[in-house]
Amino acid sequence: MSKTKVAVVFGSRSTEHDISIITAIASVIKPLELSATYEPIPIYIDKQGRWYSHPKLKDIALYTTGQIDKFLTKQKPLALQIGDGLKIFWPSLKPKSVKLDVVFPATHGTHGEDGELMGLLEMANVAYVGCNMPSSVIAMDKALAKIVAGHAGITTSKFVWFYSRDFISDNQEVLANLSVLTYPLFVKPVHLGSSIAISRVVNAKELLNAIEVAAHYDDKIIVEEAVKNLIEVTVPIIGNEEPKAAFVEQPVLRSGSMFDFDSKYLRQGKKGQAGAKTATGAQGYSKLPAELPKDLYEKAEQTAINTYKAIGCSGIARVDLLIDSKAKKVYFNEVNPLPGSLYAHNWKKSGMSNLKLVETLIELAQDRFKRKQQLTTSFKTTYLAQY
Amino acid sequence: MNLRYLFSMYSLSYPKVIIYMLQTSEYRTSPYLNWLWRTKDFSKVQYRKSLEPTNKAKMLLLLLSSGIGAEILAGIALIIFGSISFTDAAWCWPIGLALLLAYPLIWPHLIIIPLEFGRVVFVLPNQSRQIKAANKIFASHPGVKIAVAGSYGKTTMKELLYTVLSEGKRVVATPANKNVSSEHAKFASGLDGKEDILIIEYGEGAPGDVSRFASYTHPTYGIITGIAPAHLDRYKTLAAAAADIFSLAIYLKNRNVYVNGEAEAAKDFIKPSYTIYTQEGVGKWKVDKVEVSSKGLNFNLKQGRTTLHLHSSLLGRHQIGPLALCAVLALDLGLKKTQVERSVAKTEPFPHRMQPYELGGAWIIDDTYNGNIEGIRVGTELLKELSAKRKIYVTPGLVDQGEETAKVHSLMGKYIADAKPDLVVLMENSVTDYILEGLRKAGFKGEIQMVGDPLAFYTNLETFVAAGDLVLMQNDWPDNYA
Repeated sequence: MSKTKVAVVFGSRSTEHDISIITAIASVIKPLELSATYEPIPIYIDKQGRWYSHPKLKDIALYTTGQIDKFLTKQKPLALQIGDGLKIFWPSLKPKSVKLDVVFPATHGTHGEDGELMGLLEMANVAYVGCNMPSSVIAMDKALAKIVAGHAGITTSKFVWFYSRDFISDNQEVLANLSVLTYPLFVKPVHLGSSIAISRVVNAKELLNAIEVAAHYDDKIIVEEAVKNLIEVTVPIIGNEEPKAAFVEQPVLRSGSMFDFDSKYLRQGKKGQAGAKTATGAQGYSKLPAELPKDLYEKAEQTAINTYKAIGCSGIARVDLLIDSKAKKVYFNEVNPLPGSLYAHNWKKSGMSNLKLVETLIELAQDRFKRKQQLTTSFKTTYLAQY
Repeated sequence: MNLRYLFSMYSLSYPKVIIYMLQTSEYRTSPYLNWLWRTKDFSKVQYRKSLEPTNKAKMLLLLLSSGIGAEILAGIALIIFGSISFTDAAWCWPIGLALLLAYPLIWPHLIIIPLEFGRVVFVLPNQSRQIKAANKIFASHPGVKIAVAGSYGKTTMKELLYTVLSEGKRVVATPANKNVSSEHAKFASGLDGKEDILIIEYGEGAPGDVSRFASYTHPTYGIITGIAPAHLDRYKTLAAAAADIFSLAIYLKNRNVYVNGEAEAAKDFIKPSYTIYTQEGVGKWKVDKVEVSSKGLNFNLKQGRTTLHLHSSLLGRHQIGPLALCAVLALDLGLKKTQVERSVAKTEPFPHRMQPYELGGAWIIDDTYNGNIEGIRVGTELLKELSAKRKIYVTPGLVDQGEETAKVHSLMGKYIADAKPDLVVLMENSVTDYILEGLRKAGFKGEIQMVGDPLAFYTNLETFVAAGDLVLMQNDWPDNYA
């Protein structure tokens, strides 16, 4: 019996391009190569947005040694055909094509995780893994995600959002709007992940600088109050209608520090102090499970699941929460519709192997797709006849 | 025939592949030819390893490449001659073409001739001289000489003895699994005559091997670790292999012979004068208070009023017998009780032999050097005994089982089924169907997964397991088996 063809799409025009390569190859393709049911097909989107597919693109050494650009000069970009599913073509006199059964988006950030890729896959009518287009769009806009979560009764820290252009044209008005917030504050570009261009500020001067930095990266910025007595946790979740959480995980950080790009990816989490019950995952050291009182642990888990549902996530996501340990209050911070490396280290510790995780995500995608096919998408009218 | 396979014989790396096959077959003609004739795609031969550039390999490669080059040149010359000659030279064409096409078939066979010639003219006479010298050294050596023979478990037994006896004695042992005549001779040449104990492993491979080893190593003690189907391509029957192994006891005139009483196939050969060791005890020494876990073993060894409290990091109940034997021999050879307890506590699992390690929260028991059915039995028993959230059993099966292949692998399927793993992972090859049949007959209800690329599986094992898993991996096939 032939295996189900799963296209793993990664790279793309994003500041998180490199992280996406690791997620795709280490956490999706490598496990899938052991699968008896699925066959991974790598689809790499280069930094210019061209799509390529070749078995050698599964080899991490191609990227780590910097040979990828030279390799791509010898390859022809793919052509896509959408309609009754998604087909990829290798252009030539006698084009070779493959119809994809499932697509596994492994892109992070813009032009991928933000819903653009999901929109294309919806149009193509093909099963795909992870959050759908609307929930990806909401999740990838930190302000919108907080607004949606707030409407569902989930607590968030106080925040103000604005467009970068408004700040550039009249920063005084923006600063006046921000005066309702109490320092310390966090300044974040709303669409970027991996903590890129996020700053913690304690006065107006730092605030101005931080907004200027964020405005270089994004057209929309959110400024939010810091939570006191902070414990930062993150909860990986999988599922469609009945989501289930892995362990509540607590990144280990120095007091007053934050879980930024460096500590997540470059220093293997060494910014913080590794405690006795720490684990090294794709994103550095963590307490796994988080060392929280039972009631607070359960509250965090439930808040994460409620948020996942409120935003309409499906397949997989990771919900980041902020906890005021003295007030015992749990705040929703942000949701990541495609966690880096799928947070496989956490799932593994929870008893689900990387292979099982990836296979489960594909099954969830097929299940969602199957149900969607049962919906009626046409409606007979006399509108055209009357025209 | 797939064209890719055909082209693989004409690739530039073909001579290297041929020498790699010879090297991996330890330059033995029969296994090499069997592999050569079985191979379809030569581009896949050097998959796990590649040619080690030893002097011997380099010389043979040069010879082979020169021969192939000469044949190609001759072929081209004949074709050119046939084209430009005005005389009647039509015969040159087909012969030239035949030479060009046939070299991948001719030279892999011709290369055996210098190899066999070298063996007869140089290697064997040299080996014979070395063995004669070794015979003199062993015969005059005043130390205790312990010979370890058996189809399985002999390297482990040798290492255990070495660890335990070294606590109070000057002990030397044949290195790793170097257990044939040439290695015995090298070992003898390194002795200084002051050693208290020599431990010599006998690696039987063909009828008559063990009695020959005994005749020149002059053992004073003999340990037979077990009998199981192995090297049956040469022994033909299990009885023939057992008879060869028990020739060690004949040499010792049935005195100072220790036999593993848990080895079913050895039972018919046991005589009253032999000392039997099992997990129940050794001779009059009795085992009790046994504790088995993934961290190792604890047990007591008692005789009369003397009790030894023993602990080892070795895994599995089946290790009790060998450990108890080591303790008893150590006492017989003059070690004190405290020395024995201390030395047994130093014993640890050996690489790839029931070696446990943690991987992403899962426990892996690496038994990939295990290549016999008895080892499979004790491994699967351990899997059954230990508790885990999910139990996974991984194997490609066994090699060199000769006519017993179907029977042995069907039995293996039964052993696996009895251990009740949640998942069985089989490396797909020529014996897979027999294991599946054994699993089916034993009513195995768990999941079965086939793996086409064992190397990818072992390399990516981390993605396959999760916290709470217990994975037992038994045996691994090198490139020369399929």
